[in-house]
Amino acid sequence: MFYRLKQILSRTTARYADIRYEKLKETRIIFNGKELIHVGTNSSDGFVIRVLKNGGLSSIAFTKFDDANKALKTAEQNACLLSINSKKPVEFAKTEIYKDNFSPFLNEDPRNITIDEKLDLLRKYNNIPLSYEKVVTTNIYYNEVIREKFFLSTEGAEIKEDLITTSIGGLITAKEGSLIQNIRVSAGGSTGFSILRNRESEFENRTKILLELLKAEQAKGGIYNVLINQDLAGVFTHEAFGHFSEADLIEDSPSMREKMQIGAMLGTEILNIKDDPTIPGQLGFYKYDDEGVPVRPVNLMKNGVLSGRLHSRRTAAAFHEDITGHCVAEDYRFSPIIRMGNIFVELGDKTLDEMFDSLGNGLYLLDAKGGQTSGENFTFGAQYGYIIKDGKKTKMIRDINISGNLYNTLKNISAIGNDLVFCETGGCGKGQLNIRSCHGGPHVLIKDLVVGGI
Amino acid sequence: MEELLQIAQRKGCKAEVFFSEGHSDIVSFEDSKLKNIDSKILSGVGLRIIKDNKQGFAYTRNLLDKEELVNNALESLKGGVDGLFDFPLTCNLKVLDTYSPEIEQISNNLLVEECKRICDIILQKVTCQINITAQKTISSLRLINTHGTDLFLQSSSYALSTEMLYPYTSASLYRVITGKSFKKADDEYIDFLSNNYKLSLNEVKARSGKMKVLFLPETLYVLLWRLQTAASSSSLYQNISPLAGKIGEKVFDEKFSVFNDPLNDSLPGARAFDDEGVQCRQFPIVEEGIFKNFYYDLYFAEKLKTDSTGNGFRGGISSKPAPSLKHIYVKPGDKTFSEIIASIDEGIIVGGALGAHSGNIPNGDFSIGISPAIYIKDGIIIGNVKDAMAAGNIYETLNNIIAIENKTYLSHGGNCPSILFNDINVIIK
Repeated sequence: MFYRLKQILSRTTARYADIRYEKLKETRIIFNGKELIHVGTNSSDGFVIRVLKNGGLSSIAFTKFDDANKALKTAEQNACLLSINSKKPVEFAKTEIYKDNFSPFLNEDPRNITIDEKLDLLRKYNNIPLSYEKVVTTNIYYNEVIREKFFLSTEGAEIKEDLITTSIGGLITAKEGSLIQNIRVSAGGSTGFSILRNRESEFENRTKILLELLKAEQAKGGIYNVLINQDLAGVFTHEAFGHFSEADLIEDSPSMREKMQIGAMLGTEILNIKDDPTIPGQLGFYKYDDEGVPVRPVNLMKNGVLSGRLHSRRTAAAFHEDITGHCVAEDYRFSPIIRMGNIFVELGDKTLDEMFDSLGNGLYLLDAKGGQTSGENFTFGAQYGYIIKDGKKTKMIRDINISGNLYNTLKNISAIGNDLVFCETGGCGKGQLNIRSCHGGPHVLIKDLVVGGI
Repeated sequence: MEELLQIAQRKGCKAEVFFSEGHSDIVSFEDSKLKNIDSKILSGVGLRIIKDNKQGFAYTRNLLDKEELVNNALESLKGGVDGLFDFPLTCNLKVLDTYSPEIEQISNNLLVEECKRICDIILQKVTCQINITAQKTISSLRLINTHGTDLFLQSSSYALSTEMLYPYTSASLYRVITGKSFKKADDEYIDFLSNNYKLSLNEVKARSGKMKVLFLPETLYVLLWRLQTAASSSSLYQNISPLAGKIGEKVFDEKFSVFNDPLNDSLPGARAFDDEGVQCRQFPIVEEGIFKNFYYDLYFAEKLKTDSTGNGFRGGISSKPAPSLKHIYVKPGDKTFSEIIASIDEGIIVGGALGAHSGNIPNGDFSIGISPAIYIKDGIIIGNVKDAMAAGNIYETLNNIIAIENKTYLSHGGNCPSILFNDINVIIK
């Protein structure tokens, strides 16, 4: 394959060019209620070329090898147009050049498991919630994504890396009278098929919570002190802070760059945040990004002070900061953009009991239900929660969304737990989907959050 | 493509082949400067087969091995997915004008110049960060099946979105221009953005409580999403639609009418047939507040013993068709945008919505961060409010309509006007 890719790049007139070819093999099985609605394995492939010419950087995605010349020409024309219209030429930060062939360690390669076995396992899990009378439907999937990536650059990089992601998850829906409630369930990761086995208790537990939600009170809107569990802390870190660590999101925003200067005190002194895709076993693991740069851990916040950010080669040069290896694409249809790999709040020193005591009166919210950020503002949902009175859990609440402002909220973090957990399935939709976007954290106590309710 | 059908037929299957191809160029400006030009030339083939009342599906990007694609589809039959419906024979459809040859003459240079022009005009009126994305796309699709259907569609589209960002945030006021080919941004477009941005630039304080809330055409999707979910045959079949058993009942305010409007070829994206070859047609979902119709694809139509409404669309080449309302049209009202603003004693404009995808969507609940939340007092926009959320349930909110704008705009939620609602719960920190 590298020979064919070299042939394509040999025709470039640009100072720098790279090409990524990917073979993508996806296996999907989906149940809606008792009905199997999809099962199958499919392969697809495609190319992305990027050229840096006269200070203009442009990219093109294409699927037919025969379109390679046309694609290269289009990308070069676009790069020239960019160069004519830009005052500041794009520079790439220097990186060491690697030739490597990397396959991750897998505990049971899903390619060696028959689709019948995958189907049986999914059916078994799907039947757990469906055995309860009030569960009206499920939408439960098995998803296996195998990406074989070949990266080649005119600087001499030649890297093959495989990314293998397996997950089981979805939505369980219950109904009582006119009230409909649902809950998410998920299991999976980057370490092979075995992580999906023996997960019956996950489905049992989620179904029980769902049935309790049918009797829960609706959250009342207001300002609350809130204790969030590990999954919510991870999403909170991703949404409320992490996106601002992605240099491309603030590169051309003068007011945001002014606020997000390295050394700025943005959080409370107890807050430490890191992005580290190199930790083995977690969902976001990878070795090289889609610019051929090896990924490294980045301390984003140390004792409340902004201490680093995530870069592509382009932004590292523009910010005069070190490259980090965080420029990643969803697949062959996209050019890479800066993404978090595995962002988390580092361990604190408080036990859960101590945090309930500190909270006194407020809300205990658990498990993320989608989140979104727009600049300093973020919103995310919690799957369920409890009203806390005098440090004790009382009534369960449902339909909870939290909203806040990044700068205020980071300064309102008053305690961090000693119980760090990483998520097993992720998903970030910053223009492209990143199914390996991993996040984590311990329990975190936040003062004065806006909670939406009816 | 025909060969694929023949191979599938030789193996005893009914079959459908869906081929799509597209070329798009996207020019993006950040802070009034050209940032990126990206292109895509993507194609792909999806194959659906039916054998012994079971359904199989496979897809690929490069049709190098036709036998392999058919074998993948045959392999997927083993799971036993129901395929009780038949592929349709569709012909003699109304010819829609979906392609403007002018688009072929639109260079990326022209897109760059148009973005620059818009930035220059706005910056003369107000200082701010402006981000613009301009995109042109030429696409084609062909659908054939073993019943003799052979349909072809060529489409062109142009879209330009201007965002005016509020300082220290990425909250923005934005609006989209769309067409089948290049459409120059006119004064009305630029004035809407720059005037309303200027008025709302100051940060102001406001109280929490029930108040009037104006959803713009760009943010009405928050509510329409819940309605679409409830009106889907998929929700009906799964017994999670609050609209089940309510056809003919008045469910919403009588000013509110929503149509499936695929045949309107004055807009880009018009369709005479859906992604499984069923004829598309215009019909009401809600008319004067009365719930009129669920929408169906072939699969759920068969399950619910009715006919497809021509709403089977694919999310991409790797997806099978599913019920989808891709052509929403919300009937306009009788008030201009200015008249609506002038009528608000105290209220918020939802300039952008955060978290529309979370919350209890099947139940009709929404709970969104408003970003920007543009504040109106005594009929005048006086600033923006930080840390605001709006929450409600569409079965109450869509019964509380005060006024509907007399003009519609095409954005990602559909072809919609602005709508002013009464008594929405707004929480402000």
